[in-house]
Amino acid sequence: MNFFTEIASFFTFSEPNVKVVFWGSLILCSISGLVGTFTLLRKRSLIGDVISHSVLPGIALAFIIGQQKNPLYLIIGATVTGWISTYLVDYITKHSKIKNDTAIALILSVFFGVGVLLLTHIQHSGNASQSGLDQFIFGRASAMNMSDVWLFTIVGSIITLLVVVFFRGLSLLSFDESYSQSIGFPNELLKLVLSITTVVTVAMGVQAVGVVLMSALLITPAACAKFWTNKIIPMAILAVVLSGVSGVLGSAISYTYNGMPTGPWIVVVISLFAFISAFIGSKHGLLKKYIQRAKNNTKILRENTIKLFFNPDTLGETTFQFEDIFEKSNMQRGTLKKGLKLLKSDDLITLDNGTYTTTEEGINEAKAIVRKHRLWELYISRFMHLQPDHVHDDAEGIEHVITPEIEKELEKELDFPTKDPHDSDIPY
Amino acid sequence: MEPSVETHNLTVIYDKKPAIWNIDFTLPTGKIIGIMGPNGSGKSTLLKAIMGIIEPNIGYSKVFDKELDDVRTRVSYVPQRQSVDWDFPASVWDVVAMGRFATKGLFKRLSKEDNDIITESLAKVNMTPFTNRQISQLSGGQQQRVFLARALAQNADLYLMDEPFVGVDAATEQAIINLLKSMRDAGKTLLVVHHDLHTAQDYFEHMVLLNSRLVAEGPTDEVFTQEILTETYGGTLTTLSKVASALKEKDFPMRHK
Ligand SMILES: Nc1ncnc2c1ncn2[C@@H]1O[C@H](COP(=O)(O)OP(=O)(O)OP(=O)(O)O)[C@@H](O)[C@H]1O
Ligand SMILES: [Mg+2]
Repeated sequence: MNFFTEIASFFTFSEPNVKVVFWGSLILCSISGLVGTFTLLRKRSLIGDVISHSVLPGIALAFIIGQQKNPLYLIIGATVTGWISTYLVDYITKHSKIKNDTAIALILSVFFGVGVLLLTHIQHSGNASQSGLDQFIFGRASAMNMSDVWLFTIVGSIITLLVVVFFRGLSLLSFDESYSQSIGFPNELLKLVLSITTVVTVAMGVQAVGVVLMSALLITPAACAKFWTNKIIPMAILAVVLSGVSGVLGSAISYTYNGMPTGPWIVVVISLFAFISAFIGSKHGLLKKYIQRAKNNTKILRENTIKLFFNPDTLGETTFQFEDIFEKSNMQRGTLKKGLKLLKSDDLITLDNGTYTTTEEGINEAKAIVRKHRLWELYISRFMHLQPDHVHDDAEGIEHVITPEIEKELEKELDFPTKDPHDSDIPY
Repeated sequence: MEPSVETHNLTVIYDKKPAIWNIDFTLPTGKIIGIMGPNGSGKSTLLKAIMGIIEPNIGYSKVFDKELDDVRTRVSYVPQRQSVDWDFPASVWDVVAMGRFATKGLFKRLSKEDNDIITESLAKVNMTPFTNRQISQLSGGQQQRVFLARALAQNADLYLMDEPFVGVDAATEQAIINLLKSMRDAGKTLLVVHHDLHTAQDYFEHMVLLNSRLVAEGPTDEVFTQEILTETYGGTLTTLSKVASALKEKDFPMRHK
């Protein structure tokens, strides 16, 4: 079987455990996309890292106390130590000279170190049900069982409800904390809601993703979503969807290739989304920029070429041989040929026996571009007090971006002029 | 007439170093009041303390003769523009709508009337054409006007504005000051942090001059004198800053309330 058919067989749910893995990772990852939206917007990415590393000692302690892998105990243990860690970071930053990033590094390594120590201790104690504990480092979705999924569903619904109910407050808190306080919003309560939901989400999420990569799952979906939208609600929804899809796909891959940890695969998938988003995301996507630039270049070439056909004397039809027009232009031979081809395909010029002739439409276009050029020259020489001999280069660039609306405004502003600063006629 | 803002012994200490110290004044209503002082003199801190955004270590303030919590809907705060990240996923409309949350609270939906107020506020600052613009695509002056519109949407009686003229061009500054004047004429009180000494006299009828402690407070023609300005901006109040550093260095306890 090849890769894809094996992955596809995951989604037929033929094996009983597959359902558990599917729902488990879907729920965990979706919630983390939702909560992570605010982690990202509040610029708390590093705090996500602190929490995820600090839940490890909690998980180990819960195991030592409970003597088995009880999901509820584990979540409570993880939540408690995760919570303490964020509290400590805030406390240290506020009450000592230690800077926030140093406090984060400090707490993260201490808690993670203790966690690893405790896990090692458990493994050496030879407890039979220890299996699966070390998988919290990189996550193993297949270690989940039905009671885990039920717990995730209940806790996840509570988290979602909290975020939805307080959405307005949480958004304002993330955008402008001082203002939120000034209009009497309960900032402390809102911060509490955010930190509880974040800690609990991480405490659950480490089951599928592991402590090392959990913060990536928190931040990356929101970061992807931000490439596609400028509104916070669509952004949160998209983050949830992307995160959920990555969770399921990542788990499917790791489940199919039994023995691979889940976390890295989920993160690989979401990172792929991030890469795609950065490339073609609607907002600042590279592809969009690239296409726009190509379009601009074509427009510039087209307009610069038709301008060569402008006939200052008659304002009418012009005919040219290629060599004449090449001499007049200061373009490369190839570029000019390309430009002429563009004009011809747009029926602005005709080619007959090596002679180029402008059509009616071509005449108008040539006039239009020269008009824009001269209007702009006049505008900047008059309003920016530039000398007439300095305005040409500027107008060479600007003439291509002047829209009909701007042109109208220029005409009005300049009181419908007839002469440019060099005393040439402005063609209408 | 009831006072707009009064402070008593207001003191805020950051990290053991006082940012404002024993500020004591009573400000009139219905005026445009300037708060002036050099960088780091505690102007922003003063506004934040009045708005309850930071707890004063000593002293207290009152607004319209009441506790802030009792009159909060009558007060609007305009933070320094640079204090937020403008790359936030929100449109101009979204930000101005926040002004209505002051009366709507966390949960109530915005009504038709709220929407009208938002539209009107945008019009007052000439930002109507930018209503749906993403806020990251605004110029500094436009951002400032969005913040003003948000404050207008609160329909308050007292406005505390932190440097509304920073980074705006002359035309926008003129438009803003005209707006402030028309608000004043409608009976509002405006407390404005400002930097430019040249325009101060034109803009403000009343002034608070600050340099960690209160240097002077009163009608502009009384306090805007060479002597007081030198005291505010010139002589680096050496004794004061020495004491402040000593407090910090030696870890002395300041009185706590
Ligand atoms: N959060 C903070 N933590 C510690 N110190 C602070 C904090 N905020 C302000 N300060 C300090 O308090 C003093 C007053 O700051 P504040 O921002 O109130 O001054 P300002 O008059 O508004 O200055 P500017 O003209 O630069 O806006 C400064 O010395 C500043 O460094
Ligand atoms: Mg300030």
